[in-house]
Amino acid sequence: MNYFYEILNKRIGYSRVGRIKLSKEPKKYVKTPNVILPMRNFLMKDINFLEGFEDHGIFLISKEVFLKIGFLRDKFKNTTFIFTHTGTLQTFIEILENNIDIFSEDNIILLIPFNIPTTILDGNFAKNEILYHLKSVKKLLENFPNLNFGLSIKIFEHPQFLDLYSPLIKENKNIKLLNLLDFFTTNTNFKNVLDLIISIKQNFDNNLVLMASGRIIPKYFPILIYLGIDLIDSSYLLYLTSENFYDTIEFVLPIHKVKYFPCSCVACQSKLKNFQSLKYSDEIFEYLCLHNLITAKTYMNKIKQYLRTEDFRAFVEKTSFDDVLIVSILKVLDRQYFDLIKYETPITDSFSTVKCFGPSSYYRPDFQQFRERLINYFSPETWTKLIIIFPCSAKKPYSASKSHKKFQSILRKFPDFPGFQEIILTSPLGAIPRQLENIYPVNSYDISVTGFWDNEEIDLASQMLVELLKKYNTKIPIICHVSDKGYKEIVLRAQKQLPNQFYFTEVYKNLTTSDSLKSLENIVKNLKDSFDLKENIPKYYSKSWVRKLVKIADYQFGSNIGMKIFSKGIKVKKNDARKNLDIIDIENKKLLGKFLVKTGQIELTLNGAEILSAIDKEFNILVFDGDLIKGNTLFRPGIVEFSQNLIPNNYVIILDKSKKSVIGLAKLIVGSNYIKNSSNGRIAKVYEKIS
Amino acid sequence: MKKSVNSNTIVENIKAIRDRTILKRKKFTNDQLNKPVSFWIKDDRLLNEKGKEFTIILRTKGCSWALSDSGGCSMCGYINDSSIENIDDKHIINQVNHAFQSKLEEIRNERKNFIFKVFNSGSFFDESEISEEVRNHIYQKLYESDNIEEFVIESRLEYISKMKLRDLKNQLNDKYIELAIGLETVNDYIRNTYINKGMSYDDFIKAFRICKEIGIGVRVYLLFKPPFLNEQGAIDDCVQSIINLVNLGVDTISINPINIQRGTLIEYLWYQNRYRPPWFYSLFKSLRKIHELKKDSTFPRLISNPSGAGTKRGIHNCLKRECNQKMINILRNFVLSQDFNYLNKKDAYYDCDCLTRYRLQKNFH
Repeated sequence: MNYFYEILNKRIGYSRVGRIKLSKEPKKYVKTPNVILPMRNFLMKDINFLEGFEDHGIFLISKEVFLKIGFLRDKFKNTTFIFTHTGTLQTFIEILENNIDIFSEDNIILLIPFNIPTTILDGNFAKNEILYHLKSVKKLLENFPNLNFGLSIKIFEHPQFLDLYSPLIKENKNIKLLNLLDFFTTNTNFKNVLDLIISIKQNFDNNLVLMASGRIIPKYFPILIYLGIDLIDSSYLLYLTSENFYDTIEFVLPIHKVKYFPCSCVACQSKLKNFQSLKYSDEIFEYLCLHNLITAKTYMNKIKQYLRTEDFRAFVEKTSFDDVLIVSILKVLDRQYFDLIKYETPITDSFSTVKCFGPSSYYRPDFQQFRERLINYFSPETWTKLIIIFPCSAKKPYSASKSHKKFQSILRKFPDFPGFQEIILTSPLGAIPRQLENIYPVNSYDISVTGFWDNEEIDLASQMLVELLKKYNTKIPIICHVSDKGYKEIVLRAQKQLPNQFYFTEVYKNLTTSDSLKSLENIVKNLKDSFDLKENIPKYYSKSWVRKLVKIADYQFGSNIGMKIFSKGIKVKKNDARKNLDIIDIENKKLLGKFLVKTGQIELTLNGAEILSAIDKEFNILVFDGDLIKGNTLFRPGIVEFSQNLIPNNYVIILDKSKKSVIGLAKLIVGSNYIKNSSNGRIAKVYEKIS
Repeated sequence: MKKSVNSNTIVENIKAIRDRTILKRKKFTNDQLNKPVSFWIKDDRLLNEKGKEFTIILRTKGCSWALSDSGGCSMCGYINDSSIENIDDKHIINQVNHAFQSKLEEIRNERKNFIFKVFNSGSFFDESEISEEVRNHIYQKLYESDNIEEFVIESRLEYISKMKLRDLKNQLNDKYIELAIGLETVNDYIRNTYINKGMSYDDFIKAFRICKEIGIGVRVYLLFKPPFLNEQGAIDDCVQSIINLVNLGVDTISINPINIQRGTLIEYLWYQNRYRPPWFYSLFKSLRKIHELKKDSTFPRLISNPSGAGTKRGIHNCLKRECNQKMINILRNFVLSQDFNYLNKKDAYYDCDCLTRYRLQKNFH
């Protein structure tokens, strides 16, 4: 069988949506992420199992007899089977030799087992065991060069032992799947988990399907998917069943202790309650097993749905409240591995709301990405003469909120208001220039606003404010229209680090009372001309949307790029039907790009891209192996060179082989790490090209 | 014959545990040295019929492999019954005499034929354990016992020599003699890395040929579920081993499911929940599989008398007495009759719920 993995969408962290293609004709594939259900004799006799799971995508079989049972192959003909053996490698090879025809079929993935030894004495023992095992595996792969395999990997809590597998995996292209055995349990050292995952992602072909098996309970499914696992073996649920455990996702508990059944699956609705007191009976095993497997499958469905339409990171964070192991993994991954994971996390997403639950959300990679890009790429408008700091609002974008409408109505009273730089303080994104209020994640985050700030939130925001203000002339006055203790603390901490003059408005009751607004107006009036501005506001750049688009272009394409692309002045035209804004060059009336309200991104046209390419030849490029692009998807073999900092969902310029002409534009599906570590697969979706 | 000593950490671990155990042990009194560790008579399978076994476990200096720098085998704690220091021949002769005197009457009165087993938890042919004089004394005792038809002794390969075997054969020419060898598995890696047996399959073959040349039968001990193997691994290993040995033509295969003995590496793993003794279901599955695969072959005598069967430390299913007793009976019936029908039962026959439990969790043991 010639299966291979194809990535369809990158999601936050290492999570990804994809499929394992099994055959071209007829088209057969298994969608990932997915849960692998174990197939057992006694389950095959259970009508509820057969009915409930006949449409499930992937099963694990370990009995030779299942390969041959006509009924099984008929009933589950649209299903994929992973075949492995739970005993010795030698017996696995014998089974393989005896059934070579069956294994050449489309819907069976062969998984090379590594069951023995079951335990180790120390690292040296483990190393010798791995080397011995790999010697036999190497021989097996040499003997069956035309079959594709999954390879089981055991590292025995020593992530560095992955290096022992490395030559074998790299040399044998018929290894298509890595099964990480026993690498994730409740007792797992989270650092080992992360070391292993990072090592796999950085060193191996990113098209290898990653499977996790061992003592895994559904509670860990979300974090495993977040770590880039595509398939999760749920066999451990059979073991839990045999010990009479009932899985509720959040916890597992002995069935006899379940008083209130939190599930309405077919098992819970029917006889599970009646058999509850029959410890270790066949009846209880049957229904308990069914419940536990249904729970795993249903939970995986929920994860898939979240990956498709919701904020998956928020979902993972929610599950972390049930287990400190997940908290640790997220914390370390966010802080220690951000420089790697930022090339895996899409730069934008289109969820309705991005939820922040507290400290676990402060350093999520998309938020860090936002803060880092803002600090690196945001450049002040040279005509700024006054800086005004406001608090955030619940409604997004901020300018659509009642309070910000009132603030802006005051500022707009002054004809020179385009010379005012508004900065909005918020948690956990920090300090946000008004021009960037429409981009992800500023346009969609949500956090509980209580007036109580923790020290980390204040620190994050004040540091960012300092970084932003440092970009401006220190003589520009800073007006602070904030009242809550937290906001004030942010400003005060920043004030201590900066030479600028800070002015606080008088606040009466709240910021939007007429007296407060009057105070704002007065203070603006008094200070607006205090900074000796040498420069006038350029023609065309006084409009809010134009100011925004210039800064969004900086955010997307690099510092000061916006002014260069739109150097001749632009006109913004709203396209009601698609909720997009057309960006039109005023001089030649050419469409330079579109601002997509939903994602908060500028999608350049070829006209815009030509200008960008002339400014920065190396920025976000893919060099195509040819002069003209056919089709709408760029695949890895067609790419001969690429920028090293590509991020999923960002836009990219496609150059011809000679790197002289822009031949197309695309939105990236994957980041540069994937491109570096893969030899096939989808890279980007082309949305415009030269024909 | 060269002993292969493992250089990896298993040796260090076994040795450390072994040294601690030896240090703690008490010295045997003269009275204890004059009596064997144990001796008994019970039903057993003879080559072609049901019969009786008369077994004596002699207390000797102890297995030289266990006392060597190798630390011995990972599952063997028989050294605890040994004296460690040299024992006078007269003590061992007294042990033999004591057992014979105690059971002579019973042997004479029994209508069934006997198989006589002399085990010293080491090597019968190791001079440091059993001298030529003691061996000759045992041969003499046996020679005088008419209804003892078979004689079984055990030895490591390095102590087997043509001369010793010829001497034995010459002295007991009218008896069927079987030399038991603790091969444990046909897989060299499992035997030497996990069991730390220090012998190769090739060396076993050489010893097997010598026995055949002299006319001595070969009994092979197979260890069922060595440490570091899971249930299915144990089944695979056992099936593979038996198939090879059937093809080779050994006379008896004795399957010994692990029992957790004190002061061993396997006990250390067991305490930490990193090892579980095998299930009866796995043993039966192995035997059924062999029957299915080698239907047309002539089987050697297949025996299994598990120590500690039905207890936490021995082969067991659940810990229900009835369940384990049923299994013990099935196994005993099979061994005595050599009839596979005792094992080829439908699921319903094993009426304990633990069968499903076994199926659900066997991949995790």
